[in-house]
Amino acid sequence: MSHPVLQANRLSKRYGRRVALSDCTLAIPPGRVVGLVGPNGAGKTTLLHIAVGLLPPTSGSIEVLGGHPASGAAQLARVGFVAQDAPTYAGLSVADHLRFGAHTNPGWDQQLADDRISGLGLDPSQKAGRLSGGQRAQLALTLAIAKRPELLILDEPVASLDPLARREFLQGLMAFIADHDASVILSSHLVSDLERVCDYLIVLVASRVRVAGEVDDLLASHYRLTGARRDLADLPTGVEVIEGSHTDRQSTLIVRSATPVDRLSFTVEQLSLEDMVLAYMSRTATDPRLALETTP
Amino acid sequence: MIWFTWRQFRTQTWITVGALAGLSVALIITGLTIADAYDAANIAGCGSDCAAAITNFLTQVKTGISGTVYELANAIMYVVPAVIGIFWGAPLLARELETGTHRLAWNQSVTRTRWLGTKLAVIAAVSAATVGLLSWAVTTWAHRIDAAAGDRITPLVYGARGIVPIGYALFAFILGVTAGMLIRRTVPAMATTLAIYSVAVFSMQEWVRQQLVAASNIINPLDTSPLDGVSINPDTGEMTVFASANLPDAWVLTNQTITDTGQAFTGPFDPQYCGPDAGFTVCEEWIATLGLRQDLTYHPASNFWPLQWTEAGILTATAVLLTGFCFWWTRRRLT
Repeated sequence: MSHPVLQANRLSKRYGRRVALSDCTLAIPPGRVVGLVGPNGAGKTTLLHIAVGLLPPTSGSIEVLGGHPASGAAQLARVGFVAQDAPTYAGLSVADHLRFGAHTNPGWDQQLADDRISGLGLDPSQKAGRLSGGQRAQLALTLAIAKRPELLILDEPVASLDPLARREFLQGLMAFIADHDASVILSSHLVSDLERVCDYLIVLVASRVRVAGEVDDLLASHYRLTGARRDLADLPTGVEVIEGSHTDRQSTLIVRSATPVDRLSFTVEQLSLEDMVLAYMSRTATDPRLALETTP
Repeated sequence: MIWFTWRQFRTQTWITVGALAGLSVALIITGLTIADAYDAANIAGCGSDCAAAITNFLTQVKTGISGTVYELANAIMYVVPAVIGIFWGAPLLARELETGTHRLAWNQSVTRTRWLGTKLAVIAAVSAATVGLLSWAVTTWAHRIDAAAGDRITPLVYGARGIVPIGYALFAFILGVTAGMLIRRTVPAMATTLAIYSVAVFSMQEWVRQQLVAASNIINPLDTSPLDGVSINPDTGEMTVFASANLPDAWVLTNQTITDTGQAFTGPFDPQYCGPDAGFTVCEEWIATLGLRQDLTYHPASNFWPLQWTEAGILTATAVLLTGFCFWWTRRRLT
C-alpha cells in the first residue's frame, strides 16, 4: 500500500544516562489498529511522545504520515493524540473543551463531537474536573477524533478505567475507526485490553522493540512446544526460542518459526496473543542467555 | 486561541475589573475631598505664606480617609505588578505542565509558538492596561498632594506614579511565566517569582535607578541653624557634621559637609566649643564660623520623566529578552 503511517529508523531517547528507547526501527503500514504493548517503563510513552512531537529524539529519525512530528499546524492537524491519564482542563466545561477544539482545529467536526457527547450522556455544562475517569477519557478521545486526524495515537487510554468504562471506550474507538478509515496506535501494558481491537502489534520491552507485525502473522508463527527435555534440545533451523521453562524431564518452549513446526516427539500448540506477548516480556528475565543470543 | 486564552483568563479579568471599579469609587470620592481641601487651603493664591498653606493642606488630606487611600494607593502600585507576576505569570505554563494539559493543548492544530504567543500577548496586554489605568488614576488623583509635598521624585512615591509601574508589571508577568516554565510546578514558581521580583525591585530602587540619568550637583554654604547632628571622636579630634539637605522637590543621593577647599570636613574640633562640656548651640555657632559648605548630589523634579522612561525602558527590554527565552525554551526544551 502507500507510505507507512509511522517510520522510525534507529530511534533512541536518553535522559542523561538512562535509556528510555534504544534503536527503535519500525514501519507501520497504514490503516491498521496498532497495539503497542510492554510493561510499565518500557518506553511506550517515550515512543508515542516522540511520534506526536512532544519529545525530540536523542538520535535516529522518525516520520509520521511522511512528515516531521509537530513540525507545523498542518502536521498537528493530521495526528490526534490522547495523552496518558487523558488530561483535560479541570475548570472548563465539556462544552468549553469542544469549543476549544473547534477554535484550534481547522478540520473540526462539530457534528461528530456533539453526537459523541450526547451519545455518551455527558452534560455539556459539566466541568471536566467533576467527570469520572471514564468520562474524562471519553472527552479527551472526542477532542482527538473530532479534529478528524489521519492517525490517532492513544497513550494507555484505558489503564485507569474500570472494566465497563474500558469496554465503552474501546467501542467508541472502534466505531470511529469503522466510520473514518483512520490509523490508530494505542498503547497498554495489558495485551488483553488490545486483543479485540488490534490487527498489528508491537511489543516493547526494556526500551527495545522485541517484535512487531500483523497480529495474524504473529499468531501463525508462534508455537508452544512441550516434550521431553532432550528432544527439545535439538530444534530445526529457523526456529527461534522466545522463552523456555524446564522441569527435570520436560521442557516447554515458546518459539517463533516462519514454517510450521512438525515433530512427533513433542506436542505443538498454537498460542494466544496474550501468551505470546507474555513470553516476549519475560524473555530477558527468565533466561538472559537467550536474550544475549539474539541481540545484534 | 484568543477565545481560549480569554476563556481560561475570564475569572481573573472579572476580578480585576471589579477591583479596579472599587478602587475608582474610593479615588473619586476622596478626590473630591482633596480638591475641596486644596481650595480651602488656598494654595493657588497663597502669596507670601505658602509654607503654612501647604502644611495645612497636607495635614488635612493625609489624615482621615483620604490619607488612608493615599497610603493604600501607593501600596497598590507596588503590590499589583507582583500579584500579576505571581497569579497571572507563574501559573501560565506551570499549571499546564503540572496537570499535563499541555499535552492536550499542544496536540491541537496550533503550534506551540502560536499557542504561547497568543497567551503572552493577551495577558501581557491586559497586565499593561490594568497597571497603566491604575497608575494613571493614582497619578491624577495624587497630583495635588505630590505637588504640595514636593516628593514625586523620591523613591517610594516615584515607583507608584507614571509609566514605571507598567514596566514592572510586564517584567513581573514574564518573570512569572519563565519561573513557571523552568520549575514546572505552580506554587514553587509563585514563590520564586515573588522572591526574584522583590530582589529586582529593591536593587533597582537602591542601586540602579539613581544612575539611569545624570544627577545634579549643588554646593551651598552650610546652614547651621540648626544642624541635624554632629559626631565627634575625642581621641582623634575628628568631627563629622550632618546638616539636612533642605532641597525641595528633589531626591537627594549624597549629602556631604565639605571645607571651603572642597575636601570632606573631618575636623579637628575645638574642645572649647564642641564636646561633652560645651552646649550644642555653642558648637553650632562655632561650626558656622568655619566657612563650611554642603555638597549635594540629587535628582531634581525635572528628572522625573527621563528617569521614568529609562527605567520603564529597561524593564520592558528585560521583559522582551525573557519573552524570547520563553519562546525558545517552549519550542525546544519543553516536553
